[in-house]
Amino acid sequence: MAEEQYPEKWGMVIDQDICTGCQACVTACSMENNIPFTGEEEVAYGRGMHWLRIQRYWEGEYPEVSPTHTPMMCQQCGHAPCEPVCPVFATVHSESESINLQVYNRCIGTRYCANNCPYIARSFNWFDYEVPAPMNYYLNPSVTVRRRGVMEKCTFCVQRIYAGQETAKKEGRALRDGDVVPACAQACPVDAIIFGDLTDPNSRVSQAARSERGYTQLEELGTAPRVTYLKGGGTYGG
Amino acid sequence: MSEIISRRNFLKLAGLGATAAVLTGCGPAARYVTRNPYYDMPEYTQTGLSTYFATTCRECPAGCGLIMRTFEGRAIKAEGNPAHPVNGGKLCSRGLTGVQGLYNPDRFKSAVQRPQRGDPAVEPVEWDAALQVVKDALNGPAGEVAFLLGLNQDHLADLVTQLAETIGAPAPLRYGALGMFEGRATLVKAAEQVFGQAVFPYFDIAGADLVVSFGANFLEAWLSPVAYSRAYGRFRRAEPLKKRGYLVSFEARRSLTSGSADEWYPVVPGSEGLLAAALGKLLSESSGFSAVMDYAAVDVQAACAAAGIEPEKLEALAQLIARAERPLFLPGGNALGHADGLAAAVNILALNAGRGNFGVPGGVYLTTSPAGTATLTDLRGLVDRMRTGQVSTLFIHGCNPVFELPPTLGFTQALANVKTVVSFASFPDETALQADYVLPDHTPLEGWGYQYTLAGVDRPVLSGAQPVVVPLYETRATADMLLSAGKLPYKDEVEFIQSVLEDKVGQPDANISGTDLPSLWAKYLQAGGWWLAAPSLSAPEKNFADGASTAQPQAAGSGQFHLMTYPTLFGDGSGANRPWLQETPDPATTVMWNSWVEINPKTAEELGLHDDDIVKVRSEAGEVEAVVYLYPAIRPDTVAIPFGQGHTALGRWAERRGCNPAELLKVTMNEAGDLAFGDTLVTITPTGKRRPIARAESRVGVYGDH
Repeated sequence: MAEEQYPEKWGMVIDQDICTGCQACVTACSMENNIPFTGEEEVAYGRGMHWLRIQRYWEGEYPEVSPTHTPMMCQQCGHAPCEPVCPVFATVHSESESINLQVYNRCIGTRYCANNCPYIARSFNWFDYEVPAPMNYYLNPSVTVRRRGVMEKCTFCVQRIYAGQETAKKEGRALRDGDVVPACAQACPVDAIIFGDLTDPNSRVSQAARSERGYTQLEELGTAPRVTYLKGGGTYGG
Repeated sequence: MSEIISRRNFLKLAGLGATAAVLTGCGPAARYVTRNPYYDMPEYTQTGLSTYFATTCRECPAGCGLIMRTFEGRAIKAEGNPAHPVNGGKLCSRGLTGVQGLYNPDRFKSAVQRPQRGDPAVEPVEWDAALQVVKDALNGPAGEVAFLLGLNQDHLADLVTQLAETIGAPAPLRYGALGMFEGRATLVKAAEQVFGQAVFPYFDIAGADLVVSFGANFLEAWLSPVAYSRAYGRFRRAEPLKKRGYLVSFEARRSLTSGSADEWYPVVPGSEGLLAAALGKLLSESSGFSAVMDYAAVDVQAACAAAGIEPEKLEALAQLIARAERPLFLPGGNALGHADGLAAAVNILALNAGRGNFGVPGGVYLTTSPAGTATLTDLRGLVDRMRTGQVSTLFIHGCNPVFELPPTLGFTQALANVKTVVSFASFPDETALQADYVLPDHTPLEGWGYQYTLAGVDRPVLSGAQPVVVPLYETRATADMLLSAGKLPYKDEVEFIQSVLEDKVGQPDANISGTDLPSLWAKYLQAGGWWLAAPSLSAPEKNFADGASTAQPQAAGSGQFHLMTYPTLFGDGSGANRPWLQETPDPATTVMWNSWVEINPKTAEELGLHDDDIVKVRSEAGEVEAVVYLYPAIRPDTVAIPFGQGHTALGRWAERRGCNPAELLKVTMNEAGDLAFGDTLVTITPTGKRRPIARAESRVGVYGDH
């Protein structure tokens, strides 16, 4: 292909020991990616469009009961179960960023991919959701506005990846660690989300991913997720 | 050169680097945001490229720095200002949805007059006529004018204070639900008793290795949540030569903050001060603790029994504290909002004093922010003046007292005796509904300003605010409206702001410096404010020796359950008209678009209640209907209702959702004059009705299961 190749493999680390479950990432993701709000009834039917959600589980019995928070979004699997089932190649693997792309204008809405996603990370536009004027003014011009019948999901803020690459290219340099920050990691008040290039062994994300607390979600399925979680709730050698 | 220099030309000049020479002698610079025709766009508005403006988030009083991404004149996304000392590039959900306030379709689009109070129908009124109303009031008898402002410590608060002083009117009252639930006045009063200075203390959470929180929701809403969350992130992270911080929390309900705690003790609401005294007594028997209070009269066993905690656990905690290098004790709103809240605050601050962590890393510092928050007692004074007809014109800006205050205070009824009520609200909230005139201010992203930051920062900060877009509608800056009466020597809002910034000209050691006002002003706008380059807070001094309070926790009135009320993502309730705040799940319950009453599953079983049942919650002050949420981490003798929903006005997304727990609060004050909201007792009665509420848990991907 004549297209330029970028060597980065993007990945994310989420430190569950630091995550407070405050939901700032959820709101930040929604505001960045033109995710429509659906209203009380739709969201009660499980049709909320959040690309990122925080799974809050209670463990133990009162008074020893304690919550765990797991921010959950598309894990950008290396062996993605969503991809082989798409009849129209709307859900495809990007070789250059090593992420899963969703090509909205190919999607015909079979929802096979959502059915096959073990992380329940995909959301489907059951309707066209109205954003009444002038509220549509804040829609992000860097992100496609999706319409009814289209599947969508976390893209690792691919628009920010491209923007970072273009800036670096314009300045005639290689991408630096921290040049690309997705909206969730940017907002996270406690800095529990780390994003970066996994091919660089010295990047913050690579270093964090090597932690002895690290694990991946449902790793027994062999999906090879790009998101590493760091176990929380203990003092771990300190 | 023309008298008025547009923002565009100003930036051009500033960009050319000819600031000082060219601008001296010009008219006041960069004051006006102008609308330019499409073919003559300012050079910072390039098609296809974003422009970023540094400003301040004014959604709550914390004063976080924003970088607003704009695109062809539209505000797109709020991002944190990485250089800002409060939030360091981070933001909370409220700040992120600020653009949904700016572009909210329910905004007031021009000045309006309301023929009948309480009736949503309004008539447009010319700005000149509206201006005359303001002028007449300010030129009338000064004693009959009253100003009620929000909690934000901003330019408007300063300006109105000056204005009131000049015309001889009573000083403005600054009040809001967030301050009410933080026990803000109580905290300041306790600081005065313990440190001798009536200012907000700053707690260096990042530097501590053990934090003991007495009902302080510092990760959610307390004082400066983003700043304290950032500090918590550093506190929690283990690094070479730095231990992972350990968080202990006393709170009747496991909130977001308590949920992050390593140890959580569900104690009886109101017993926090007693526990602090008991801890002090246990600690004074250990080394490394020099008691500043007399703990002789404290009975540890009795305190533990009253709080519902085993004495062994408290002793273990005392040992943990004694072993810690830099323990820190936080007096939160849930501990302070009780009849003996002031004593509780003093007891908790005295623990910090006992460990001697004043002005050291991981310790307590004194901020320079002027406190100046009104108490509920002050508010009652205003209500009394209103009721007896002593107030003929009431100006309201930045707060929604009809919604936020307990109705039993009688604010709404007292309004009937006020001749003219003028609201500067941007949205048709409950208070604007009772106003004769609504003269909408620019929303925060359209207006000028500055804001002193509150307790979350280690240095003095004057956070700068500037318009990021041209005002959408025919709104006018409230500061300009008030200045138009000619009582103060400022031409307009910007001149007033610049007069404050003038003190900073030539001051070294700051993030920006300038030898004259125009160059400092340009840098101030670019940097998003003025602050000292290095931390510079003073250490408090121990200056008291008093007996520890052993007041027993007491809940006033009769009822089955303690009621806890806490602010959520909606802050003081004004966030309820942001659809993405409504659709962001509550962190603890994952409920969206509604409110609920949290009941321990065991209690619910005894009462025969299930999830989604509607119950009547009744206190001495009033009653509300709420939907039951079985919450596994709340005391069986306590129920909790979040604050912020239950609006009867405020637009399409806010109205008729959930209930307003303020209706249950009885007007009893603590010694500092703050509302003792934590002493409320309620009864729960099933109604037999059900109302399923939307929640993210258990329903993800479950189509149709309602």
